[in-house]
This record gives sequence, C-alpha cells and structure tokens, in this order.
Amino acid sequence: MSLKQRVFSLAVLLLVLGLALAACGSKATSTPAPAATQAPAATEAPAATAAPKPVTIEVYYPVAVDAPIAKILNGYIADFEKANPNITVKPVFSGGYGDVKTTIQTTIEGGGKPPVLAVMLAADLYDLVNAGYVVPLDDFIKAMPNGSAYINDFFPAFMANSRYDGKIWSIPFQRSVVALYYNADLFQQEGIQPPNSWQALAEAAQKLTIPNKRWGIEWPSGWPYWLFQPLAIGSGQNIVKSPTEVVFNDPKVIAAVQYYIDLSHKYQAMPEGVQKNWGNAPADFAKGAAAMIVHSSGSLSGILSQAKFKVGVMAVPGKAPGTYATVTGGGNFYMLKGATPEQQQAAWKFIEFITQPKYAADFSIQTGYIATRKSAYDTDAMKAYIAKVPQAGQLKDMLQYAGAELSCMNLGKVRNIFHKYLQAAYNGQMTPEEAMQKAQQEADKALEMFK
Amino acid sequence: MSAAAPPLSHRKAPKWLPYLLVSPTLVIVLVFTAWPTVQAVYMSFFRQYLNFAKFRTPTFIGLHNYRELFTSPDFLQVLKNTAIYVAGTVPASIVLAFLFALLVNRAVKGIGLARLGFFYPTILPMVSAATIWMFFFTPDYGLFNSLLETLGYHGPENWLGNPHLALLAVMIVAIWKNAGYLMIFYLAGLQNLPEDVFEAASLDGASWWTQLWKIAFPLLRRTTLFVSTIAIIDAFQVVDHIFVMTQGGPSGASTVLLYYLWQVRFEDQNVGLASALTVVLIVIMLAITITNFVLSEREGA
Repeated sequence: MSLKQRVFSLAVLLLVLGLALAACGSKATSTPAPAATQAPAATEAPAATAAPKPVTIEVYYPVAVDAPIAKILNGYIADFEKANPNITVKPVFSGGYGDVKTTIQTTIEGGGKPPVLAVMLAADLYDLVNAGYVVPLDDFIKAMPNGSAYINDFFPAFMANSRYDGKIWSIPFQRSVVALYYNADLFQQEGIQPPNSWQALAEAAQKLTIPNKRWGIEWPSGWPYWLFQPLAIGSGQNIVKSPTEVVFNDPKVIAAVQYYIDLSHKYQAMPEGVQKNWGNAPADFAKGAAAMIVHSSGSLSGILSQAKFKVGVMAVPGKAPGTYATVTGGGNFYMLKGATPEQQQAAWKFIEFITQPKYAADFSIQTGYIATRKSAYDTDAMKAYIAKVPQAGQLKDMLQYAGAELSCMNLGKVRNIFHKYLQAAYNGQMTPEEAMQKAQQEADKALEMFK
Repeated sequence: MSAAAPPLSHRKAPKWLPYLLVSPTLVIVLVFTAWPTVQAVYMSFFRQYLNFAKFRTPTFIGLHNYRELFTSPDFLQVLKNTAIYVAGTVPASIVLAFLFALLVNRAVKGIGLARLGFFYPTILPMVSAATIWMFFFTPDYGLFNSLLETLGYHGPENWLGNPHLALLAVMIVAIWKNAGYLMIFYLAGLQNLPEDVFEAASLDGASWWTQLWKIAFPLLRRTTLFVSTIAIIDAFQVVDHIFVMTQGGPSGASTVLLYYLWQVRFEDQNVGLASALTVVLIVIMLAITITNFVLSEREGA
C-alpha cells in the first residue's frame, strides 16, 4: 500500500471507531443520569466524627398540577438546606405521576440508580412494594422520639394507602378528596338546601337544569373510577376490600352505577353517557353552564378565582338521607431502594422537615391541596386562611366521610377492567348489572395469581 | 508505481474496507433494532410480571402468551380498531395531501400563507394538537360541533365519550395532522414534473381533469408509494393524541395496537404478553413493508 492509501485507511478506521464510540456514548447517556450525581456523597472520605458528612439526595417530583409547585418546593428545600448544611437536596421535576413512576421503573429495571425519594400516587402502594422498588419506613419512625405521635397526627384517611404487610411504606404529602361543588347563589335563589341524599341531589340537579343552557350537574367519567367511588361508598359498599379483593358486583355498587345513569336518563340533569369533561367541568361551573360539579378538591382555588358567585363545597351525598361520602387521592413520599444509609437518614430528615405543620399548612394554602396533618390546622397561618376561605376548612372536614382509593395488586390491569365495564354501563352498551358482573369476573381472574 | 498516482476508482481497495464502512450502521442496527427484536421474540415465550416478586423471574410458558392474545376479546377489538384506523387515516390523508398540493402549487399572491396554513399542523406537537382538538370536540359549545350544526348535523355530539365516535375523532385529528406533512412531498413532486408533457397534452385538447389523472397522478406514482409507506408506518406508530384525548376509551373503543402495547407493558407490567404483542406488531409492519416493496419493484420494472 502506498502512503496515501495507508493514511486513507487509517482515517477511515479512526472515523469508524469514532462513530462506534459515539454510539456507545449515546447509549451510556441514555440510561438515566441520576446515578452520577450521587457519586460525591458516596466517595467522600470518612470525615471527623464531629462534622456530619456531606450527603446529596435526589427527590423526584411530579409537576403536572395547577400550582407553581417547583417554585414552592425550591423554597422549602432552601430552608431545609439552611437547617442542615451537610445535606444537599436535588429536586427533579417531571411531568405527571405516571412519568415519575415510569422513570423510576425504567431506571431500576435498566440497572441504574433511582433517586432516594419520590412523590408517587398513594394508590400505587402494592405495585411499588411488590416490585421491590421501595423500602419500609418503620425503622425511621421508631427512631423518632415521638414516632407514633408523628404518624397519628396525619389524617387517618390519608394513611389508608400507606400500610401493607404490617409496615408503613409512604408518608402523605399532596393529598386531595373528591368534592361536590355547588353554586350557592343559585341554590338560594331557587330555595334549595344543600342535598343530603341521592334523592335530594337528583332533585336539586333536575330543578337547576335549563335545557341547552345549564346542566344541573356535571360528573366527569373519562377516567372514571375515582369520581365513581363516592357513589359506591355512599351506597354502602366501597369497590375495594383488600389488596387481592375488589367488589364490583355487589348490589350496592350496581345501584351506584344505576344512580349515575339515572341522573341523565331519568332526571335529564346531567350530560348523557361517558363525560370527557375533566378539564372543562370547573370552567363550566365557574361560568354558570353547570350548577354543580363533582371534581377534585384541588380545583378549589381555580374555581374560586373564576366564579362570580358564592361557591359551596361538600362531600357527595350518600344514598340514605344524612349520609355523605368521598374518597382520597393524591401522592405520598416513598423512599427508594439502593441508597446508602446516610442518604436514607438524610431523606427521612427531609420528609420530617417538609411535613412539619408549618410547611404542611403553607403548602395547602399555596396549592389548594388538603394539609396532611391535623396540627397544620392549628397554625395561625391556616386559621387566617380558613377565616378568609372557609371552603378550605370544609374540604378538610369531609375527610371524616372518606373511603380508601382503589388500590390493590395488579392495579393497572384491575383499574382498566373496571373502567372498561363502568364506561360500557354509562354508555348503555350493557346494563349496570351485566357490566359489573363481567368486571368482577375479569378482575377476579387478574387478581387470582396474586393471592 | 509511476510518479502520478492513478485515479482513486482504479485503485484496488483492501477487501475489508467495504465491511468496515458499513460496520457503524450495522452495529447500530444490530444493537438498537435486531437485538431488541430477538429479545422480544424470546421473552414472548415467558411469563414475567414486574409488579410481583413471585413472577419477576421469567418462567418458560411456550405459546401461552400468544394463545392468551388471540383468545382475548380485548385484543381482537384492538386489531379491529387498528385496521379501521389505518384504513381510514392513510388513504384520506394521502388524497387530502394531493389536493392541498394541487391547490398551493400555483404562483398566486399570498400562496405562501396558504402553504403555511396547510403545513402548520405538522409543526405543532401532537400533544398540543390533541389538546386543542379536545376543546373543538367539546359537546354543547365545541367549535367542531358548532360547525357541524351549521351544516345541518344534529346527531350525537359527545365525540370522545361515545363508543361509536371516539375512534373516528382520533382519526380526524390524525388526518388533519398528517395531510399537511404529506402535502410537502406531493408539492415537491409536482414541481419536478416536466412541463412539456402537459403542453403536449394541452395541444391535443386534453382537459385539466384528464391531465391530472392521466398524466400528473401516474407520474407521481413514486411519490405516492413513498408517501403511503410513511403514512402507514405513522399510523401504527403515533398514538400521542390517544393518550391525551381518550386514553383508549370509552371501554377500549379507541385503543389501537401500540397504545394497547403500552398499557400491557407499563400499566399491567406484563412483560411476556407485551413481548408477544411486539412480535405481532413487527410481523404486521414487516408484511406491509414487504408487500409495498414488492409492489414498487414490480411497477418500477
């Protein structure tokens, strides 16, 4: 080979190697980066016992909520780091709950290092524990001087999705309930009392309906299990019984499905069929196109800022007069596997810090979520806020009627089955009886092997 | 060797050079396409659930996943939905794209604006487009319903909640989104057509219509083949708007293959079944691609 040829071949070889390296490089960076950022803490040489070792922890956080979460959280983190100079908290804000869960899932399955803390759906408890992604928190709670008092200060309804297998796996953080919002001015005008039963609710809705102008009530059902649960609970039978047992075909649940359908077919007070109006319902309500809506408590601040009338909030009336029902929702703090003991200690410190009554109250005031601890409502800031916005206090009082959110083994599958048949009933493709029997059959099959 | 080196093409390149040159592509294809495919085929014979310790370790179960798929009414519904979706969106997008291209392939003042108008849905991310369309489809006061009403339509308006309309609704969005993109290829094709053929046809007294269908359209056959290929692939691969608009509902009425695959893999955490679904998807795509290739070769000959 001539020199020129040699040079040419060498150049080609280098080019190929470079490409191959680039390909490898891009592959390496495609596995989530978090692992790298935690290195400093782990490699730090043991310091003198007097000064605590510097520790870095990562916190994954969903931001797909109405409030400016990132700003609020960064403020709390700054306070925390000031109080604990040896701990650095790195928040990672990403899409919604689903995105946080998928990120963590793919990180762990791909052999990467997950963050130390993450806010994920309370209802995802069983899937997260069964998959072995999270660690129990009991040891940290026991190590506290007043551990049981700390846990007991959280509203029991919010702790309902934290216990499994005799252990506590998550700490409530941003939590909500299902609420019935009503136009109190219209109620007064028409001489209607806040409804205290299914019958009263249906009649109020009927009376407030003006064809082609105003619906008596809107009740979104595009992703229907959550807003349906207050009906089932109010009928006397929640749809979930144990981690491996769901109750879809109970006559009381079937009656709840029938009631939802009756609101449109019998009383003509609600749009017919599956309502894809989760996003529109609060706006419809605020502009007077719906006299009542069933929605998340998290929509309160948005509704209050838009509505030009007095807004009432209450739990969803139950079947029997004088009974009410709601269901909890939202996200908890989970601690993930794979962190060093120092990181876990630091993470627990952060949980303790951020769930203090002071911060729980402030978070609730700024976002509209319900404060997770009873003592948060004893703070001056919260008292002043409730004096100004009494609805916030009423939402908290609804917790006494709250049932547990649908949470069980194989949740994704079971929830999809329930949605399929509930919507089939709503759309009149099946009778409520037939739909719920089929849902029960399929769900039992999906849960069978998890028993 | 003489002092002047012979031209490069006359030189004998080392035997290994061609292999070396294709190796980067080969490595990338092997690592990112072939290997995952092999893995999917392999895993489709196993049972593995990631959400339960007992089933995290894969167990060999033979063809069970495939049997489960093809006896599941859900999956058959998904196949039917996918067939309707592809058969409905692909030809409609192509016809619209061709018409748009004819419309804007003229030197008229302000034609740039019209081109932009047709092309703009392409620039919009699918998620944003879907969000906008959700408002269009709103019952009672949505823009789409208002428009239909002025045209005399008084049928059901609950597009996203009605099991008979939800699939149609997501198809409308896909067509709206794709037609402008495909138009670009036809526009390029039209502008490359030889003028003289049309001049000759005009002299022979061929009408505009005849020129269009007997000359322009056949000459654009290659473009049509290319456009139909990418339109079909797109129809299988783009499900973002379904996530936003219907979540596959109501009752699975708008669930297509890729969305179902996502549900099985990420919601149910059922790796084995998801792998079997992946294999089914690959087989379908392969069949379509090969058919397309064979057809194009035959016509090209």
